[in-house]
Parts: sequence; structure tokens; C-alpha cells
Amino acid sequence: MFIARSEYDRGINTFSPEGRLFQVEYSLEAIKLGSTAIGIATTHGVLLGVEKRVTSTLLETSSVEKIVEIDRHIGCAMSGLQADARSMIEHARVESQHHSFHYNERLGVESCTQAVCDLALKFGEGADGEESVMSRPFGVALLIAGIDEEGPQLYHAEPSGTFYRYDAKAIGSGSEGAQAELQNEFHKSLTLEEAETLVLKTLKQVMEEKLDSKNVQLASVTKEKGFRIYSDEEMSVVVERLPTN
Amino acid sequence: MNHLPQAWGRPRDDVYGPYDASYLQSGHPQTHTKSPIVTGTSVLAVKFQDGVVIAADNLASYGSLARFTDVKRLRPFNSKCIVGFGGDVSDMQYLDRLLNSLDVVENYSSEGHSLNAKNLHTYLSKVMYKRRSEINPLWNQMLVAGLDGDDKPFLSSIDLLGTTFSSPTLATGFGAHLAQPLLRKVADDESKVAGVTKERAIEAVKECMKVLFYRDARSLDRYSIAIITKEGGVELKEDEQLEGQSWAFAETIRGYGRTQEV
Amino acid sequence: MDSLLGSNPTLASNPAYSFSKAPYNSAADNKEHAFYPYTDNGGSTLGITGEDFCIIAGDTRSTSGYSINTRYSPKVFRIGGDDETGEGAHIILSVVGFAADGTALKERLNAIVKMYKYQHGKKISVKACAQRLATILYGKRFFPYYVTAILGGLDEDGKGALYSYDPVGSYEREQCRAAGAAASLIMPFLDNQVNYKNQYLPGTGEGHDLEPRQALPLPRHDVEQLVRDAFTSATERHIEVGDGLQMLVMTKNGIEELYHPLKRD
Repeated sequence: MFIARSEYDRGINTFSPEGRLFQVEYSLEAIKLGSTAIGIATTHGVLLGVEKRVTSTLLETSSVEKIVEIDRHIGCAMSGLQADARSMIEHARVESQHHSFHYNERLGVESCTQAVCDLALKFGEGADGEESVMSRPFGVALLIAGIDEEGPQLYHAEPSGTFYRYDAKAIGSGSEGAQAELQNEFHKSLTLEEAETLVLKTLKQVMEEKLDSKNVQLASVTKEKGFRIYSDEEMSVVVERLPTN
Repeated sequence: MNHLPQAWGRPRDDVYGPYDASYLQSGHPQTHTKSPIVTGTSVLAVKFQDGVVIAADNLASYGSLARFTDVKRLRPFNSKCIVGFGGDVSDMQYLDRLLNSLDVVENYSSEGHSLNAKNLHTYLSKVMYKRRSEINPLWNQMLVAGLDGDDKPFLSSIDLLGTTFSSPTLATGFGAHLAQPLLRKVADDESKVAGVTKERAIEAVKECMKVLFYRDARSLDRYSIAIITKEGGVELKEDEQLEGQSWAFAETIRGYGRTQEV
Repeated sequence: MDSLLGSNPTLASNPAYSFSKAPYNSAADNKEHAFYPYTDNGGSTLGITGEDFCIIAGDTRSTSGYSINTRYSPKVFRIGGDDETGEGAHIILSVVGFAADGTALKERLNAIVKMYKYQHGKKISVKACAQRLATILYGKRFFPYYVTAILGGLDEDGKGALYSYDPVGSYEREQCRAAGAAASLIMPFLDNQVNYKNQYLPGTGEGHDLEPRQALPLPRHDVEQLVRDAFTSATERHIEVGDGLQMLVMTKNGIEELYHPLKRD
């Protein structure tokens, strides 16, 4: 299997005889190496949570930015190669501003996700005079959370350019365990506060380090306040609330 | 639009004051058409029951000189449509080549279906509007006559600015002033077209060609006329002679019909 | 010839004409251009909103100078509907000024409104469409679409919405607006009859103490009659207005088209 594979690893846009694009599949693997990120959509708003891998005690934890704002009503959490996420987020931000400039309304969350995914497949040789933008697929997955006239929504965007909407989704190294936990615990009538607890509880289970208010981060998108990253004080409050065991 | 192609595409004198052409004195080579040189005058057309009649004389003028007297200004595209050109003759010939290549491409790429008059009109209007937007106009006004997608009579105009309009009767240039009022007596409304016979339409067009020959100094009594119907396709006659002219009045004018007498 | 080409030396002599006038040549003012890419096709348009409807109307005459190009060239269009029939459209647009630019603008906005639906999975709101039209117009700030546009539809609350523009994209939402050749004739009439400008309640005081008559949204029947009156009057006084009156009425049930003949002189 592995021997046959290498043949089709050269051309980045080349299908294998089984109909697979290996480089794209590998890029999905890169995400599994990334830190865990979780998103939960409730009727009141969407919650995002990530683990910050604090690899050194000398690391300034506030410089680890894994949740970012796209617009006042859209935010996103990432897992995988963070540098790649920069260009995706830059694109999403530009697209969002572009939309409100041209249409005097906020960009829809799905449209924003679509815009990011349109970028995802612009790798490879570039056919028919079309300029190629990137040499390889992105190595990062995004959880895009936002609110528009359709209400709170959560999307998962992959390097393959596909995206799906989720009630709750986990990505990154701990995603398998975390997703199973979310599957059990999620219900439609979840409040935002319950979601905070659920995210942290789930992260705690899959994290290697011991969870504290410094190595995790939460953000929410609500109708009232839009996108907001939790302050240190708020983080402490939520972490305090966690059941100890 | 009036009967002077030199004045087309320019600010109206009555609005903007007299036209100053000092711009033309630049030493640089000219690549854009800034004024028409050899020009054709009016094109006339009338819709009738099951088709359209269109006519234009065979003259190409160089200013006030009747320079070419056998220029065909009706250009059949296929069995469904024909284009009548007024204005610059070299731009007309360029458009003719453009339409020829369009026809070739269409015939290779499609089977059975052919472009109708409406399609052709849309195409030409985009060409003309694009060129005016590049400030490099094709100095023409055209009438597209023929049949639309439902084989109904179609008649529409395009000019060097990309302006388009449609009417049961149309006339370009001097004809817009002299012939159009006469033609509107035949059909002044779309609803009247169904009552106009082919013979009536031809007669009206021929009469107007005569009036134009009497009054338009840049016109000729040899002309082309085409009838487009579903049954007959495009019937084009390119060497017609104006009939029944009456120059009796000239007999009384000194220095004209009357020869030397004191 | 003289009156049209004036005392233009180049046009009168190149190619040679059989007559000439004293050369006119002032190198000092080079205000004229070789080719002037605009013309005015005349006509007038008008839009009025009511509580739950929006009407945009325009005469159907197209002119160039003193000539009538055609008696039927519509200036009011359905945006975002079927190509041929306009079926399914939920926005109306009128353009008056240079007809070729008007057509180009209409086609561009139409394509954008359709693309919006495909890209965002919902019909564009009038508010969003209005902003987009402004950016389209401003995008050609230095080679403008020489048109005065009026955009209409129903807003998110189902109320009549009307936006009016200048050729380079300045816009504002209004209750009513007249545009085009006879705008200066129609607009004061609208101010008085729709917004009740200069109408006061008798016996409420003297001078500045007089209480102005409060403007309320008019019922559809009244608005239609106002539009007809505005155009019959404009036809009387303006040579570029006449032939026919086309009206598009947007309600929650869709768009209705009405036509009334106007004088053709």
C-alpha cells in the first residue's frame, strides 16, 4: 500500500488509481497532530474552546492565539498548522468587509465558510493559465462560529475544501474522544453556560496537561455581544465551576 | 442622431456651443476614429405582417463628394437577418468582417440552430457599446432587420454610442428627419404592424427613398432593398433604380433645368 | 450644416466641404473632446412608496435631440427575475439619462442580484441591493454611467422602499422621487401632493405658528392617480416626455405592470 502510494504523491493534483488525492488526505493528518478545538452551537449563541499547548513555563500563554475574530459576528477556532490559518482568516476577513461594504449587511456564516473553502483548493500547478496561489493544501482545519439572520451556527471547514454544519464538533489530536463525549452530552436545549462547562469538561478529558485557566481559551458569539474572547477573569470563573475529580 | 455623421457622437452645438476641433492638430499618429471619412447616408426599414423591408442607397460620400457609387450597405447575415449600415464605410467593412467571422464560428460550433436577428442585434450592441466605452467608436448607425426567435418580424437600431431602440419603422441619418414621419403613417404602433402588407411596406420604403433622393444631397438614386420573411428568407436586390422621379419643378429654376437664357 | 458643425474648421474642411466659414480655433480652451461618449435620451421617471407597496413609473419615449427614436422604450425594469418575462423578480429599477449606460447598468445589477442568490442562498434585500447599486455606480466614478437611477421594492418589514441615486452613486431612501428630463416639473408637484409641503392646517395660527399638514403614506389608488397626473402634465410641458406611461407596482403579491398612453406630439 505505502509503496504504491508514493507514486502519486508527486503530483499534488494527481488522483491515485483508487481515486484519491494523497496530499489532501495527508493534510487531514496534519490536523490530527494539532491541539484540540471544540465548538458547540446553542440556541443562545455559539461557543468555541481550544487547548493552548503550553510547551514551556517560559512561554507567554497569551501569545498563543488559536481563536480569532473574523468580523463582529463571526469568529473561528483553528487546529493544525497555525501559519496556514492566517491566510484563510485574512481571506475571510476581507470577504466579510467586502460584503458589508458592497451590501450594507453582515456576511452570512455559511457564505463566510464557503469563501474560506473556495481558497482551500487553490493549490497545485494551476491549470489553463490560471495562476496558482499555493504549492500545497492547507494543513489546518477551522471551526467557524457565527450569528446571522438564520441564528447561531457552527461550521467545520477542512483543507479538502468541504464543510459541514454541526451542533457540536471537535477537531485536532483529541477529536475522537472529544467528539464521542459531545455526542453523549449535547442536546438542543443546552444553555451557553452549560456549553462552557461541557467544552472545558471535554477538553479536560482529552488534554495531556492538567487543565487550568491559562492553558485553555474560550470565546463566544452571541446576538447581544457578537464575537468575544473570554477574559482571564471570566476563564477563571468557568474553570472554577468545573466539577473536580 | 441627424443626417450628418460628422456631428454624431459629439456634444450638441445647441447645448455645448460650437465644436472646437483643435484637438485634431496634434502631431501624434491617430489610431482612433475621431471623425468619419467616407460615409453612407440613410437606412430605412419597415416591419410588415410577416417580415421586414429595409433599404439603403449605394452611395459612399467623401464629404460632399459622391466618391463611391456602387457600395452595398445592406449586409445579409443569414437567412433570418440583414444589417443596414449608415455612417463610416471603413468601420462598416470592419463590422462586415467581424460578422463574417462570427458566422463562420457559429456554423462550426452549432448545428441546426442559427443566430436570429435579435441575437445579432444584441451582439452588435455589445460590440458598439464596448468600443464607445474604450473611446474608440465604430462610427456607424445600424438597423438590424429580420426575424426573432419566434420568427416574428424584428427591427432594431444600434449606434456608435451603443444606444439601442426598436420601433415598427426606423430610419437613420437624414431619413430620421425626412422618412420616419412618412413611414410612421404606415405603422405608428406595434399593433398596426399586423395590418401592413408586404406590398404596402415596399411601396412606402421606395417612396421614402425617392423623397430622400430629392432632398438629401448625399444620396443616390441607385439603391439596395431587402425583404426578409420566414418563407422567402432574405431577398436582397442590390442594384435598384429609383422610379417615377419628377424633376418637372426644376424646369422653372434658372441655372438648373433651364439652360442659358438671359 | 452651419448650425450643427458650427464654425468648426476641421469638420467643415476635412473632408472638404463646398462651403467654409472663418476658422474657429482657440488653442487656449481645449474643453472639447474628439469623441463625446454620452448623449441624452430624454424621458422622465418617478417613484413613490406607500405603506405596503412601491410604484416606479417612466414614460416610454426615447429621443435624440428633437427626434423621437421610438415611442416605446421602457425605462423601468424588473431585477433578479426570469430573463424574458421578469417572473420572480422582487426589485424594480428605473434608469433615465443616457439609455446605453442605463441598459448596461440594468444588466449588470441584474446579473449581480442573480449571483447573490446563488452565492448566499437567499434573495437579496432591497437595502443590500441599494448599497450594491451605489458601489457599482461609484466604481465608475471617473467614467460614470450617465443615468439617474431609482430602485424600489419592499423592505424587511414589508414596507415600500425607494432609493434614489445620482450618476456616481450618492443615494438615499425616500418616500418619492422624480428623475430625468421633467424632474424639475414633477418633483415640486410630488413635494406638495405626497409630502404635503406648503400645506398648512387652516385656523391653526398665523405665520410660523401655522401647523403643517402631516404627511401619511398614501393608498395605492391615490398614488397611481398622482403618477398619471404627473406624467400627463409633464407631457404637456416637456418635449422629451410623452408617448406612453409604464408603471411597475411592487406589492407582497409580486410585480404588476400597467401601461397608459400619453400624448404623442
